[in-house]
Amino acid sequence: MPQPLAPKEAAQFRTIIRSFEDKQYKRGLKTADLILKKHPKHGDTMAMKALILNSQGKSDEAFPLAKEALTVDMKSHICWHVYGLLYRSVKNFEEAIKAYKFALKLDPSSAQIQRDLAILQVHVRDYQGYIQSRTAMLQARPQLRSSWTALAIAHHLAGNLAEAENVLTTYEGTLKSPPSRYDIEHSEAVMYKNSIIAEQGDYQRALDHLETAAKHNLDRLAVLECRADYLLKLGRKEEAAKVYRLLLDRNSEHTLYYEKLEEALEIPADDAAARKAIYDEYAAKFPRCDIARRAPLDFLSGDEFRQVAESYLTLMLNKGVPSLFANLKHLYSDSFKKDTLREIAEKYITSQDIDSESKDKGEAAALYYLAQHYNYHMSRDLAKAHEYVDRAIEKDPKSVDFHMTKARILKHEGNIKAAAEMMNTARKLDLKDRYINSKCAKYQLRNNENEKALKTVGLFTRAETVGGPLADLLEMQCIWFLTEDGEAYARQGNTGLALKRFHALNNIFDVWQDDQFDFHSFSLRKGQIRAYIDMVRWEDHFRDHPVYTRVALDAVNLYLKMAEKPSANGTNGVSEEDALEKKKAAKKARKEQQRLEREEAERQAKQDPNKGGQAGDAKKKDEDPLGLTLAATTDPLGEAMKFLGPMLQSSPKSIEAQIAGFEVYMRREKYVLALQCLNRALGIDAENPRVHEQVVAFRKLLDNPPSDLPPKVVETLKAEFKPSEETADLSKFNEAFQAKHQDSPLHVLSAIKAKLQLGVDLAKCEKEVAGLVDHANATFSHAVAALETLKSWRSAEVNAFRQAALAKWPNVTRLSE
Amino acid sequence: MDIRLLTTADLPLIQHANLENLPENYFLKYYLYHALSWPQLSFVAVDVSRPRKGPYDYPKIVGYVLAKMEEEPTDGVQHGHITSLSVMRTHRRLGIAEKLMRQSQLAMVETFQAKYVSLHVRVSNVAARHLYEDTLRFRNEKTESKYYADGEDAYSMRLDLDDVAELAKRDGVDEGDAVGEVGRDPEADGKQKKIRVAVGRGLGVGDLVEKVETKQ
Repeated sequence: MPQPLAPKEAAQFRTIIRSFEDKQYKRGLKTADLILKKHPKHGDTMAMKALILNSQGKSDEAFPLAKEALTVDMKSHICWHVYGLLYRSVKNFEEAIKAYKFALKLDPSSAQIQRDLAILQVHVRDYQGYIQSRTAMLQARPQLRSSWTALAIAHHLAGNLAEAENVLTTYEGTLKSPPSRYDIEHSEAVMYKNSIIAEQGDYQRALDHLETAAKHNLDRLAVLECRADYLLKLGRKEEAAKVYRLLLDRNSEHTLYYEKLEEALEIPADDAAARKAIYDEYAAKFPRCDIARRAPLDFLSGDEFRQVAESYLTLMLNKGVPSLFANLKHLYSDSFKKDTLREIAEKYITSQDIDSESKDKGEAAALYYLAQHYNYHMSRDLAKAHEYVDRAIEKDPKSVDFHMTKARILKHEGNIKAAAEMMNTARKLDLKDRYINSKCAKYQLRNNENEKALKTVGLFTRAETVGGPLADLLEMQCIWFLTEDGEAYARQGNTGLALKRFHALNNIFDVWQDDQFDFHSFSLRKGQIRAYIDMVRWEDHFRDHPVYTRVALDAVNLYLKMAEKPSANGTNGVSEEDALEKKKAAKKARKEQQRLEREEAERQAKQDPNKGGQAGDAKKKDEDPLGLTLAATTDPLGEAMKFLGPMLQSSPKSIEAQIAGFEVYMRREKYVLALQCLNRALGIDAENPRVHEQVVAFRKLLDNPPSDLPPKVVETLKAEFKPSEETADLSKFNEAFQAKHQDSPLHVLSAIKAKLQLGVDLAKCEKEVAGLVDHANATFSHAVAALETLKSWRSAEVNAFRQAALAKWPNVTRLSE
Repeated sequence: MDIRLLTTADLPLIQHANLENLPENYFLKYYLYHALSWPQLSFVAVDVSRPRKGPYDYPKIVGYVLAKMEEEPTDGVQHGHITSLSVMRTHRRLGIAEKLMRQSQLAMVETFQAKYVSLHVRVSNVAARHLYEDTLRFRNEKTESKYYADGEDAYSMRLDLDDVAELAKRDGVDEGDAVGEVGRDPEADGKQKKIRVAVGRGLGVGDLVEKVETKQ
């Protein structure tokens, strides 16, 4: 039981609570101290003081105090509740839930504790616990619709659809009169129930429900889409077609509607004429509709394709639509279509009746189209691309789009430096456009110009953000910039700043995960349940997004590099080159640190003294702005796990993730897990060159297991290792792989790397890698990969190879780095 | 390019498009706030014909409209507001912005009985003003001095949605009359910004129940 207080102190205690709620932390602490002076062992006051301290960011003081509060008053629900809140604030949800449960046991009537517990349960996806909590909350407040909806959500998320529906139906039974037609909460609850019925696969019942309960529903689009879908699924095609036509009348730019309409009209996929008739109908009905005009290009062939393509291209070129190529490039996987589109554009240019004066229509547009055509990877001829883009630029020397494309062409030549300069030229042609500004900064980062790029983006970030452009980009979660910035630092060997960015990105993803927290309660008040369910399901897998995978791979690869001992691969100790590089990096880091300090000092000097402190106390000072602490880690592989774990969990089908996983687990001597990654990678693409290297490495391990590995484990690994038969003779296996893939420089490179593992002389391997420059299919990016390999071997061939490659590809920036 | 309703999974790339194109940016939670408060109002333009890149491909967002209902309309009239609208430079002149706007406006009328829709536009943004004024027929209500962080003025524009309502009715999409309930004050809406909660016997922990920020 809480320790009783005299009336005066009890009033003071209430003041503490009020102060806390109003964020008057200083006042709250003062009042708490007044009580504690009289009653030094008053648990509830100590707990409240801890809660306030925690809110002030002093969690290292808060936790011991909260613990002490508990020791003096074990039976206080306030103490336990606060204890839970503290754990919640440091995201130790498990402990927080335990504490809430204790608090609730002591005060079962507390709606607040129950609510906090429930939210945390759904947050950590403890659906059974959530059902329990929501059942209790419904019993306490059955008059609220949201109590019922919440319980239905709990059952729904737990996978018990019938029970979820049941709860919603029971509530509906308690309604004395139907709610107003404009009751958005009711309207949504009906659609939510409908979605649950459909999710059970009972489309007839879903349709019946929709036709009765959702007749006047406020979400018209959802009603129409569901109705069309159910009708089609139930085979009532004629009716389905009608609804899809209604949907197309609302929005004729939706491919799926056309496809479903075709299905409903039972038009066979190969009946191009009938399919085209539908699109023609909508093209006539909606003169501004793009899909109706363009989509037939997807399924037409031969002369019909040529005819439609010609009229579409002519229309768009006459109008000067800059996105024309972006709108058509998906057709390029069909080489007939690819060639035909090029021919049409070429013919268009030579035609007499086109606009050859305009800056962006007619001829200019066609030149621009062809420049993009020859720049695209499936139809690449960069010399021609240059020719066309230069002619386009002649038409309009001030065109941002043309210069942007020119920059892209340069990038595809490997000339990153010139590309960055060209993108900057494009940027200067429209200083008010952030898109071109972003592109320019991105190209500068590709060219390892971090400071310049930051300055560029700084033209559009909020000027008043404390800490400058970078702070604004961090605050606004600007993933692309931070990723490119980190990758550029990693390329330059600035491990600290690279890790700094990758960890900042990881924090952003953590924030995204935390963001859902408030919506567990918010959405119940708003009543938009389908959107909430959609969010919860997305949050369950959001780290499978390629933007996360990219960062995770960047970080893991960097940690792998850090874990590589300099003595690997024959060379002993630290080489001269290494020492020099380290010295250079350290010097750079020092200079960077000084620059940051100088800037910070300048900023403070400029700051209005009257405004001082206002922004400052909210943000904690970054103790490691250069990531030096991160770079100094003694356990890079352990750190790598922070990125690898979530990536493997959310993106198991990514071969890059499995490859990275194998590398980390092998070095950590977690062979079972390494093999798991390897087997998965083999399942995704057994011919992947990196996977081949890993198969060789693992077989070598099995043939010669470390002495401390228990024989039983070795047996298991051998049994689980899939390619055991074909790898019985590793050298033969490797040779066969190389022979099979001799046309692919990357596969050959991997086979050579495998040879080194198998004991072939380093000098011989180096020569073979160097020979790749003359491989018939070698491109500059293969040469870059070969160069990286030689560098990682600290090979004497590096310079000779570099020169040979540069002779062949003179402008490739990465070869001269 | 396809025009369709926004889903939560689109948000990272919507945020990306916004950061790439516009100087007014928001953290993901603000997008979530829109998607979870008025899921019917926001639309995206996506490239559906692009071949999938790997097993975890998300559709590329080439344009979006992020819209909301005004939570506490000062004039007491239910109306929508365009928080952000942008189309990638590489996908301009396909009419994407207009099409996005029209979908959003229709939903504002149907779902929330909006009478008009408002927005802010930079005085210097000629292309956007052309879209709003000439194509969509917005009219300039007033100039808001120094509305933007960099000191630029904004035109505060609005478009009456009566025509959209008429259209929705005529097409048989909505057969009822919206008058009567329109001006109501949805009791929940006013209280969304701050949540007061009580612990045990009157102990509050409002601070740890974070608010959904409505950052301008």
